[in-house]
Amino acid sequence: MVAAKKTKKTHESINNRLALVMKSGKYTLGYKTVLKSLRSSKGKMIIIANNCPPLRKSEIEYYAMLAKVVVHHYNGNNVDLGTACGKYYRVCCLSIIDPGDSDIIKTLSGEQ
Amino acid sequence: MVKFLKPNKAVIVLQGRYAGKKAVIVRTFDEGTRERPYGHCLVAGIKKYPSKVIKKDSAKKTAKKSRVKAFIKLVNYQHLMPTRYTLDVDLKDAVAPDVLHAKDKKVTALKETKKRLEERFKTGKNRWFFTKLRF
Repeated sequence: MVAAKKTKKTHESINNRLALVMKSGKYTLGYKTVLKSLRSSKGKMIIIANNCPPLRKSEIEYYAMLAKVVVHHYNGNNVDLGTACGKYYRVCCLSIIDPGDSDIIKTLSGEQ
Repeated sequence: MVKFLKPNKAVIVLQGRYAGKKAVIVRTFDEGTRERPYGHCLVAGIKKYPSKVIKKDSAKKTAKKSRVKAFIKLVNYQHLMPTRYTLDVDLKDAVAPDVLHAKDKKVTALKETKKRLEERFKTGKNRWFFTKLRF
């Protein structure tokens, strides 16, 4: 079965990798900029929170399918994703443009 | 990471008078221009879809039902929904960006676009493009 139970360890490691991206890489937060990054083919990976409205989620997934970009469904809601990014606001979706020192893209695309 | 807003891509217009109509990208301006400092593209779309043609129709009726009314527009990328479909109809020579400035040029461009889209419809290919989007 495909990762039915997301272990605490992998979840923590995603958070760590995300923190490293925030520190060393380039990213954009928010639906509008995520779509912009997909259109301009700058986004390398998309992360969507689990309480993202289903229409918006499918729209981002469709754009990512056209752009052949990995989408990761974060195991947490927009509040958690915002905290994981080190922000004091909610983040529903984010796009990683340049991972910097992090290997988040390699590890998460390897899983899928 | 793959650019998908390329010429011949079928898109759906989301805003404006032509909202909900299908169109095909003719030319893209990713960096924008002086007048439009944002990413936009020139699209040619269907203003009025051809009606459903049935076997019982006479040749005259088929011809009347297969008519397509086209439009040409410069649209911001934000007001388009790209699809996985493409429509390889060569509209590049008929539709140029300067067409939208002069009325008579626009009329000839629209006539040419209409002709090419009708030809494509009659061959029966790209059926998705010529069906109305129901919403």
